Amino acid sequence: MSGERKSKDKLAIDPELVRELARLLEETGLSEIEFEREGQRVRVARQMQALAAGPSRLGPAASVPLPVAEAGPIDPAKHPGVVTSPMVGTAYVGPEPGSRPFVEVGSRVQTGDTLLIVEAMKTMNQIPSPRTGTVIQVLIEDGQPVEFGEPLMIIE
Amino acid sequence: MFDKILIANRGEIALRVLRACKELGIPSVAVHSTADEDAMHVRLADESVCIGPPAARDSYLNIPALLAACEITGADAVHPGYGFLAENARFAEILAEHDIHFIGPKPAHIRLMGDKIEARRTAERLGMPVVPGSNGGLSSDEEAISVAHALGFPVLLKAAAGGGGRGMKVAQGPEELVATLATARAEAKAAFGDEVLYLEKYLAQPRHVEIQVLGDGHGRAIHLGERDCSLQRRYQKVWEEGRCPALNESARNAIGETVAEAMRKLEYLGVGTVEFLYADGKFYFIEMNTRIQVEHPVTEMITDIDLVLEQIRVAAGGELELSQRDVRFNGHAIECRINAENPVSFRPSPGKIVHYHPPGGLGVRVDSAVYHGYSIPPYYDSLVGKLIVHGKTRGECLMRLKRALDEFVIDGIETTLPLFRALVREKDVIDGDYHIHWLEAFLARGGMQG
Repeated sequence: MSGERKSKDKLAIDPELVRELARLLEETGLSEIEFEREGQRVRVARQMQALAAGPSRLGPAASVPLPVAEAGPIDPAKHPGVVTSPMVGTAYVGPEPGSRPFVEVGSRVQTGDTLLIVEAMKTMNQIPSPRTGTVIQVLIEDGQPVEFGEPLMIIE
Repeated sequence: MFDKILIANRGEIALRVLRACKELGIPSVAVHSTADEDAMHVRLADESVCIGPPAARDSYLNIPALLAACEITGADAVHPGYGFLAENARFAEILAEHDIHFIGPKPAHIRLMGDKIEARRTAERLGMPVVPGSNGGLSSDEEAISVAHALGFPVLLKAAAGGGGRGMKVAQGPEELVATLATARAEAKAAFGDEVLYLEKYLAQPRHVEIQVLGDGHGRAIHLGERDCSLQRRYQKVWEEGRCPALNESARNAIGETVAEAMRKLEYLGVGTVEFLYADGKFYFIEMNTRIQVEHPVTEMITDIDLVLEQIRVAAGGELELSQRDVRFNGHAIECRINAENPVSFRPSPGKIVHYHPPGGLGVRVDSAVYHGYSIPPYYDSLVGKLIVHGKTRGECLMRLKRALDEFVIDGIETTLPLFRALVREKDVIDGDYHIHWLEAFLARGGMQG
């Protein structure tokens, strides 16, 4: 961590670190991870109810707030990495019933890679990834009806 | 009867259809664009589906999205309301191909009445009076001039594919006709993709009188009387009333029966409106609207018949339960179309309604989808709501309308309420002595400037 982050009254955040922890959280299925380095302690947690007594327990070391800690319960539609449905229809996660999904949580995707299919009027429309990144969350189930603008996935 | 009805529209008409669905006990699906997430029809429907972004062509006119919405909700019928896809024969056909019922006429009849030359020919064939004019499209300028001389100037040039007042031009003499032909042809081509024009005798000061019809598609059809929609601005109806103040009982029965008989011959299905110009005691067919109309509540108020409910019934294959004898006319009704517009300049005024108080009391009906705190989006038409007032006589109706208009509060946006408050106090309007150019003349002489 860089020197300026040591400044006591400045609440410096290392977004990469927090994001990495959040990713680990997602992958491992844990509800919280605490990480300490150079006198700074970062705790990332999901599920708000587990957090209820959180901040007070952190004591003076809580120089880093818990912004990303809300990644779980935050409205996916407002997430910067959200991929929304460009049409109304039925969403399928794989190319045909029973086949492997195009992507799963943790998959690396390139811009243009097929993420899923939305069927409308018997036409299978492949939904391409709008960016290169990692699939953080899949918000729909196979065969689920989706509306225009409905959040499908989060890719960062 | 249908299991579930998808309402392919927005605003007050979506709400109107939804009300009929609820009273029939049929679950309804609202569709909406991203701009209409907070709309009343979305809030009140049993289910809702977002079908696209704000632009109508990507949402309310998006046929694949509407079909997909039917598929994911299991809707087996679509009510198109008015506007948008209500008179799109292709939409009705595509729905049929997907085993979804279109709550409207047979596609062939939509197509027939959508082509103004075909509509005119059909009207003549079915025994309805038409405006004297060219027999079909004009093949040359020479033909246009000779037809115009035979009819007598002024004449009206119309685009075959036009409608709703669009694509019409008046020529006072032969020179103006020649000059107008070229521009009208180019405009028709640009606006409708079809440059075919036809000519009609131009009636100077007619009234607009229309007949409401209802048919079961198997040759049973009735008429539900007339509405007078002469008070118009730029061919847009502003004030509609029923009964027409200029007709006597025998004249209205005669035209009603002529139209009902035409609909029986046509085997027309659903609700429809046959529009006429009325001058010097004669009716002249202009066009037929093959859908529910904005002003249908006027007829509902004087007949006590729910037109949307009847429309859904016959679309589901139900027999027409009403006979002509069952249709009884009771009193008088007037409808005012209240738009989000400046009442003098008619500039649209979208925005947030910060205070809303609709009028109430006996004989007062407000069909509107707005509410306190609602923001009128800028993407669609400017209709805020319709105030419909009923009275035992026209005089009582006018007094009731006057007090209802004075009760009505819509703050935060500009509306045309002041226009109606002025109109209801105008002598010609009180006397029922007006024609289709009256309102524009009233506005042109500064009637709204005090």
